Parts: sequence; C-alpha cells; structure tokens
Amino acid sequence: MKADWSKILSVATLIMMFVSLYLIFIYAPIEKTMGVVQKIFYVHVSTAWTGFLAFFVVFVSSIIFLRNGSRLADIVAYASAEIGVLFTSLTLITGPMWARSFWGKWWDWSEPRLVTALILWFIYLGYLILHRSAGEDVRRARFTSVFGIIAFINVPIVFLSVRWYRASHPPLLVFEPGGLDPSMKVAFFVTLFAFTLLYLWLLNLGTRAGKVQDELRTLKEGL
Amino acid sequence: MELRTKELFNSMFLFALLALIIFNFAFAGSMPKSVLAGALWVAFLFASVLGLNRSFVKEQDKGCLEGLLLAPADRSAIYFGKFLGNLVFLLFVEAVSLPLVTVFFNRTEIVRHPLELAGILILGSIAISSVGTILSAITANTKTRELLLPILLFPLMIPVIIGAVEITAYIFEPKGTIGQWLRLLVVYDIIFVLVPYILFDYVVEE
Repeated sequence: MKADWSKILSVATLIMMFVSLYLIFIYAPIEKTMGVVQKIFYVHVSTAWTGFLAFFVVFVSSIIFLRNGSRLADIVAYASAEIGVLFTSLTLITGPMWARSFWGKWWDWSEPRLVTALILWFIYLGYLILHRSAGEDVRRARFTSVFGIIAFINVPIVFLSVRWYRASHPPLLVFEPGGLDPSMKVAFFVTLFAFTLLYLWLLNLGTRAGKVQDELRTLKEGL
Repeated sequence: MELRTKELFNSMFLFALLALIIFNFAFAGSMPKSVLAGALWVAFLFASVLGLNRSFVKEQDKGCLEGLLLAPADRSAIYFGKFLGNLVFLLFVEAVSLPLVTVFFNRTEIVRHPLELAGILILGSIAISSVGTILSAITANTKTRELLLPILLFPLMIPVIIGAVEITAYIFEPKGTIGQWLRLLVVYDIIFVLVPYILFDYVVEE
C-alpha cells in the first residue's frame, strides 16, 4: 500500500502547489509598501516552517530509534534531515532576496529567525556529514541519533540567544509582518500546506530509498 | 600518560596564545575591549578542539576503551571522567594564558576582577567540555575523526560563545545588564551535562 500513498501524496502536492501559485500571484493583492517582492514571503516562511518541522521529525525519530532500535526510525531520521537541510537552504536563499529589497541589505545579524535558520543549516549539515562518515553498521544510527537529539535541544537556546543578542545590539529596522490582509492569509496558509505536503511526499520517497538501500546491502551480504 | 598530557597542554596553550597574537595583528594592534573578550573566547574554543580530539582517539587506537567498558563501573562514570578531565585541562590552559595576555596586550582589566572572570571561564568551559566530550566520543569512531569534531561542535557552541563574550566584556567594562546571559549559560550547562550523561551509554555500547 506504500506505493499508493506515494502516488496520492505526489498528486496532492502537485495540485496544491498550483493552487498556491494561483493564490500567491493572482488572488492575493500586491503589498502596498513592499510591492511584488513581498510575494516571496509566502515561499520563504513556508520553507522555513517545513524545515523546522523536518528537524523536529529527526529529533522524534532519533528518540524512537534509541528506545527500540527501530530501523525505520533511523531511515526516517536521515531522510528528514536531508529534506530539512534542503528547505533551510531555500529559506536562506529567499531570505536575503527579500531582505535586500526591504532593508536594503542582504543580511542582518539582528533578525533572529534568519540567523537561527543559518545556525540550524550548519548543525544539520554536520548531521549529514556525520551520517556519511560514520560507516555502515548499527553504530552509525546510534551516533546520528545521539547527535540528532543534542542538536534539537539546542534549537530553542540558539533562537533565544540570537534574539537577546539583537536586544543588546539594536537593529536598524525591526521587521514585523503585522496584520496581513485576509486574502494574503489564505494564500499563506495554503502555501504552507502545499509545502508540508511536499515534505511528506519527499519523506516518503526518502524512506523508500533508504529501505531499498537496506535491501541492497542485505542482498550484497548474501552473495 | 604523563608525557602525553604535557604534550597536549603545551600544544593547546601555544595554540591559544598564537591565536591571540594573530588577532592582535589582524586588528592592527588595537583591540577594543569588546573585541578582546571575543578574541579570548575564540582562542579558547579553538584550543579546546585540540584537546577534545585527543580524548578518545588514543583509547580507540589502543583498545583502551574496551578495557574501560569491561570495568565494573557505571558507563556514565567514563563520561564524567572524560568530561572533568577535559574541563580541568581547558581551565588550566585558560589560567596560564590570561596573565600572559594581560602583559602582552597591556590590559589590566583582565586581572582586575579575577573571581568574576574565573566564574565565567568555568561556566563557559563546562559547556564546551560537556558537549565536546560526547561529540568527541562519536567522532573518534568515524572515518574523518579530527575533521568532524569542530564542524559538529561550533554551531552548538554559538549560544555559549555569545553569552560568555557578553559577560566577559561586562567584567572588563560594566555596561548594560548580563542577568539573562548568566541564566542562559547556567541552564545550558545543566542541560548539557545531563543530556550527554543520559546518551553516553548509546555511544560507547558495542
């Protein structure tokens, strides 16, 4: 039944992506002060949230793995970390694009969400490198799980410290999205939903790929 | 054991000192107070990696860890032993470097409040050593070993470095408030002594 799930998810993702594109570019009005560039907000915030969700899944799967040694939990953790890094990369690409036209500069160290995303990107890139260099056996799963837990516990602390850092180093311009137009809200939540579906679909694909790799390894050992 | 410790101490100490001297030239000989606090912590963090990297590699090479695991002691005792060893080592390096930095950079403010400074050095070093110890136990078992530890450790140390630098700069020149940073560091230390303690079993399990 797994293949069916994948098909349903892929079709649903495709449809929702088109719906969100329509909502972003045709349905939602153009923002008065920021202009067309504001449209990047929908994708930027959605990828940021989905990336964060992915890292949370890594955390939960890591705990499950350490508790009962489930092979599936380890595969899901790695697949989710990969997707999380991908989405965080997108966040870090769209962020400066938006900031450039809004603040007049690519990067501002006093924007805690963006800085946290950058630090998360480094942490989970480290996770992927660790996974790659920790060999093939069950120890790798234990190592990455331990790191996955330590890393995620750090996330709120990183966010807090970066926000306090802003308080002691006042920014030039504080960004707060404030009240969104209702039609913009619709466009935003639909986009968020579309990216969450995309995440689930990619996670499904990644998990299947991980399982196939496992089977391949068992076959090779059998030979 | 004795010899190896001495070698390691010398390397870490010289590394920290060299880093500070390079900072001095990088900032054209005039480090403002806020930069001095930052330079100290960068030097100590980087130097700590040298020590942390060695803390499990030797055991790995000579099979000592198996011996330790066979010992009829709680495995978390190994974690605490390694953690305290790394901590004491790092503090020792810091304690020896600071008087020299005071002389080289003509900064009397470094030694003006020795107790406060010792306090923040201990708080910051606990965080570096505790997270560093469990990560080094992990990376000692990987193909890339020494290369991997700083990549995993540094991003996790960012809150610690921000807090430690803010407090150290405050000790050098009282300005603003540091209550929240002190709380952050204390909470960080408590969490990251307990969490590796719980997880260490999974890392050394054969």
